[in-house]
Parts: sequence; structure tokens; C-alpha cells
Amino acid sequence: MHCLFISLLSLVSIFTTQVLDLFPKMLNKLKCTVKVEEKALANMEIEVSILDLPELALEIVLEKLPPDSLTNLACVCTSLRERCTSNYLWERHMKEKWSSILGESATKEWELHIKHLMDTKEKNSKEKNWMVSLACAWPISWIRSLIECGGDNKLVNRNLHQPEMSSIMSFYGALESGKLWFPAQVFNRENGHVGFVLSCYDAHLSYDRHTNTFFARYPPHGTKPVKTEDGVKWDRVRAPLVSTPSHDLHISDCLKDLRPGDHFEIQWRKNKEFPYGWWYGVVGHFETCNQTEHFCRCHEDDIVVLEFKQYSRGSRWRQMVIRRKDHREKGNATDGFYGGIRKLKTDDEIKMWRRFWPVEVLE
Amino acid sequence: MARSSTENMITLMSSDGEEFMVTEKVARECTTIRNMLEDDCVITNIPLPNVTSDILSMVIEYCMEHVAAAEKAAAETAEKGSSSAPAAAKANKDLEEWDKAFMNVDVYTLCDLILAANYLNVSGLLDLTIQTAANLIKGKSPEQIRKTFHIQNDLSLEEEEKIRSQTPWAFEKSE
Repeated sequence: MHCLFISLLSLVSIFTTQVLDLFPKMLNKLKCTVKVEEKALANMEIEVSILDLPELALEIVLEKLPPDSLTNLACVCTSLRERCTSNYLWERHMKEKWSSILGESATKEWELHIKHLMDTKEKNSKEKNWMVSLACAWPISWIRSLIECGGDNKLVNRNLHQPEMSSIMSFYGALESGKLWFPAQVFNRENGHVGFVLSCYDAHLSYDRHTNTFFARYPPHGTKPVKTEDGVKWDRVRAPLVSTPSHDLHISDCLKDLRPGDHFEIQWRKNKEFPYGWWYGVVGHFETCNQTEHFCRCHEDDIVVLEFKQYSRGSRWRQMVIRRKDHREKGNATDGFYGGIRKLKTDDEIKMWRRFWPVEVLE
Repeated sequence: MARSSTENMITLMSSDGEEFMVTEKVARECTTIRNMLEDDCVITNIPLPNVTSDILSMVIEYCMEHVAAAEKAAAETAEKGSSSAPAAAKANKDLEEWDKAFMNVDVYTLCDLILAANYLNVSGLLDLTIQTAANLIKGKSPEQIRKTFHIQNDLSLEEEEKIRSQTPWAFEKSE
């Protein structure tokens, strides 16, 4: 276009010079014509579409788009597909919407999900269809053992390359559609059931974008059936703060630092077949302590008083004592078992628990 | 205004040879030109080979409007000692309205304006045009986007289906 433009211009100027010699009076009129032609050519040349925008400008346009627009744009043409599916753009959306409730275990679940999808792609279609539909409905870790026992691993081609499958966009998509069941923790499970107030339990969650809430499935308590709950709101969900699985004892690392007034959460389970949940409490003083700052020596004693002031005085859940030196798990069949303890480190962590403080004292 | 008669005038020349006389203040709204003026303070004639006259006149119109609005706000502050919040809010709203009306252009012009704002480095105009482009995409189906921006579809049905199947929720509203 440039060459054409320049050669046209030089032709025109040669022509103009010659005309100037022969017909001086026509000069002005010709100049006008040249001007109009130049302008038309220049304007035609710069007729651009959104794809011709400079890299940075297009990038900023894409950064301003919400996830659904980005996805629609990805279906427009190959060039936009490459751009709109980039991890760079989706990282921000992922962070904005999901990072507060996704922990390492959720990412791991996704990786397993992907690996599983890739592996099964090689198996015969009948088997594949069954697997994918099952994978959509159940947390993959629950059925993986089943498949691995019964499946023929020789058929699996581990080199199958499917990069787009593992992109952040598809992770976002799997969460948003509710197809991925991911591990997280739920406060006050089962709609604030009185037996679970100020506790936080592991669950597998699936998102329902129409109600902007979650469907929760709690791991079975012994031989009891799996409990489920729908309509779990965002503020009741958190990413697990420690990597300890719900059936394992958490190794406490704060026992020697605990002082009266410290907020903590402690593992508790009703019996040894049940998974642990985390329960909120505050370190208290001994009855004999006058609780003044300068004279209190409670933090020097081997015994730590754990208080659960959400329960009434006299309730068997109100208080518990543990030994600093060798506490691992303490309890009995009646009162349940108190396991690992985690001191709450930030105001935000404390605030998160305090939001669920019951209106009425619990028995 | 009396002041503008003493102010330096700069001539900007578009790619198609049209000349635009503007005050230095208006020209300085373009960071690219401001840098040129700072490097060489006697320069009075600046050729802009990447911007056509149609687009340059629009960029100048934008810069003039925004310089005038800033001058008006400054004059009001000087007169009253302090700027009154409701008056400033109204002035902002008026300018926003003006921007909105200014963005009532076809997509080709919009893209040209983004290019020019990017080349001349007019940050306000770049933000405005980019936001306008993003708004043109929001809530549209792939087919509507192709129509709006005159883009040819070179994806196979299978390829398009693959993206849709990964994120079916994204297509609920736009279809």
C-alpha cells in the first residue's frame, strides 16, 4: 500500500510539474484534486480493525473484559482465541473470584482431575463416557481408587498432550460451571445446625452460579450416610489453613506460646472413626488467677485452660484443659477428642470466626 | 481569551498534509509532543506521519475540550479561593457526558483513535477509547462481535465447540 501510495504521488507530482509549464492557470484546481486524492488514500490505508491494534492497547482492552466476554471473544477467530485463553488474562479473574477459598488441596484436586481426563481419553469410548460423567458428579479422589484398582493401566498413554485442558481458563471454567468438586472448609455446617456452631469442617464443594452459592458434601462420619447441604454462602467457606487431612491429627506448633486471651482453633471429633472439625475458642485463666496483667502466671504453667465461651457456664463444652508439654489428643467417648491446636495469627482470622458468634448462649 | 494571543502556537501536520494550528498547551496534552517540545523548545512545526487529518482533528478536539475544562476549574478555584465540591462534580459530569458523546463513532474510527491516542500518548483519550472498545464487546455473542468489528471467522466448528464446551456458562446470556 505504501509503495503504491508513494508511486502514485510521484506520478501525480510529475504530471503537475508538466501541466504547470503548459497550463499555468490550471495549477490551483489540480492542487486541490491532488489534496483530495492524498487524503482519501491515507484514510483508506489506516482503516484498521480491532486485531490491528498495537499489542499493548489490545491487551488493555482484553484486561477490561469480564470472564464471559473473554470467552465469547475467544470464539471469534483463531487470533483472538490465542489471546483470550492466555493464562495471563485468566490469572487475574481466578485470583479475584476464587483465591479466597481455594487452597493447595483444591489445586491438587484440579491437577488430578486433568490428569485423569487425559489418561482416560485413551481408553475405549464406552469406558471413557462412563468415567467423564462420573468425574463430573463426584470428587475425583473418591473414585480414583476405584478406577485404579479396576482399570487397565497399560492402556493409558501418559504422553498425550492437551495443553489447553490444563489452562487456568479451563480451571476457572470447571469451578464456575460447578463441574469440579473441590475441597474447602465450611463454617457452621448444615445451615448452622446447633451442634456445629463455631466450627469449621472439611467438605467438597461445587459452585452454583445461578444462586452464587455452593453445594457441600461432607465426608461421612463413620458409617453414617454422607451429609449434604445446598445454598452455602461465600462467607461460610474458606480455604483449609493447614494441609492436615480431616482424619489426621494436626501437630500443634503453638503450645508453648499460648497465653490467656489468645484466640485459637482446635481439632475435635466425636469419636475416633469420625473426621476432625476445627472449633473456635480463647485461652482462659485458672480459677485461682486474679487475671491482672502483672500478676498472672497462667502462661508459665504446663496446663492450658481452653475456653469456649459460646457455651453456657456449666456446659460440658465450656472448658477443657490440656498439657503444653505433651498434648496430642485428649478426650473420651462421652466428651469427644480434642486434637491439634492452631493459634489464630491475624485479626482477620479472628474476625472470620467472630462473625459466627451465636445470638444466644449454647448449652 | 487575551492570554492565548501571547501563547506559543504549534503546527501539527497530519499524514495527508493538513496543518492544524494549536496552542502549546493543547499540544502538550499529547505526551509524545510534550517530549518533543522539551527536547527542542524552538520547534513549531511537528509532522505526524501516523495520524490522518480526520483523526488528528478529533484528537485535537478532545485535547482542547479537556484543556478548557481544566482551565475553567482552575479559574473557578482562583476566583473563589477554593473549589466548590458541587460545582466540581457538575463540571466532571459535564465532561463525562462530552466524552460519551465524543465516543459516538464507528468501530474503524474508534480503532484509529486508539492507535492515535497510543502513538501520541494521550492517556485520557487512550483510557476512554479502550473502555469504549471493551464495552462494545461486553455481553455480545461471538457472532455479534464478528459483525461489530468486521472480523472473519477462521475457526472450525469443532474448534469453536471445544471452547464452548469448556465454559458453557459464558454463553448463557449472550445467545
